[in-house]
Amino acid sequence: MFVWLETTPIAQLVALSLWAYPALLSLHIIGLAIVVGIFSMRDLRLLGIAHGVEPTAFISLGKLAWIGFTINALSGILLFTSQATIFITSIPFLLKISFITVGMVLAVIIQARLSNLLVDDGYINSVDRTTRFLAAISMSLWIGAIIAGRLIAYF
Amino acid sequence: MIIDSPLNQWILDTYWLWPVLEIVHFFGLSLLLGGLIIIDLRLMGYFRSLNLETINNLVPLVMCGFSLNLVTGILFFIGDPMRYSVNIGFQIKMGLVILAGLNTLFYSWKIKPVLANSSVSSDTPISVKIVGLISLLAWTGVLVLGRLIPYVGTG
Repeated sequence: MFVWLETTPIAQLVALSLWAYPALLSLHIIGLAIVVGIFSMRDLRLLGIAHGVEPTAFISLGKLAWIGFTINALSGILLFTSQATIFITSIPFLLKISFITVGMVLAVIIQARLSNLLVDDGYINSVDRTTRFLAAISMSLWIGAIIAGRLIAYF
Repeated sequence: MIIDSPLNQWILDTYWLWPVLEIVHFFGLSLLLGGLIIIDLRLMGYFRSLNLETINNLVPLVMCGFSLNLVTGILFFIGDPMRYSVNIGFQIKMGLVILAGLNTLFYSWKIKPVLANSSVSSDTPISVKIVGLISLLAWTGVLVLGRLIPYVGTG
């Protein structure tokens, strides 16, 4: 299947065109900045850094992170097709995809907890222990995704 | 002068250093862009539910990201000065970093005092929108040109 994927016209375009691969890499880093950027701010805030920011501010910003994720899912899939057989056997790549998957699931959970905070709590600046714990895991996963992503080129 | 300096030799001889610097550089850009995307979009009048004053508490995280990337960036340059100094992508990237810096200075001197008098959850004047837009465009350019350094020629 991955051999076939590499022979598709779109994979051939990405692999052979002079501009397609760097253009996709450019999109991929913009998406990274949005996704990891917004989630880092959220997770660090939930962990007590920059505590002047209301945690509930990140409810509306969650949509923005999803836009970044969409950019990176699409650019990532296109980058993947060009060397599918190599990527699919790369340990750092598989780790990266796993970290991102769990990170996005956690993002949905954390966003839901933030929304509940808005409804339940009069004092919206307090963050419960479970949410803080999830934020710590989430931050670690995004750092892990960056580490694994960079290491794809080295292993 | 830089080539064959002890630091240059250490960077080249330490096989694990380059990927570690890249990973830190990527995490740094996430902190830098993450905070700025939020602040700049708010300056441009989006996400008006965000309090203009409290999101300024993200600035230390932005500066932390910038510092990480300044240090790792200088080490990249010392490690391979002949590659970067003549690279057109690197040159434009540095130009955009300077533009973004000047824009930030303008914001601190001229815009922030004006904003201090306005309501925290209101729309922003056109001058403030332009400052936010220049910041976002300059940093997006920095990301893209950084990514394109391996693909473009000398300038």
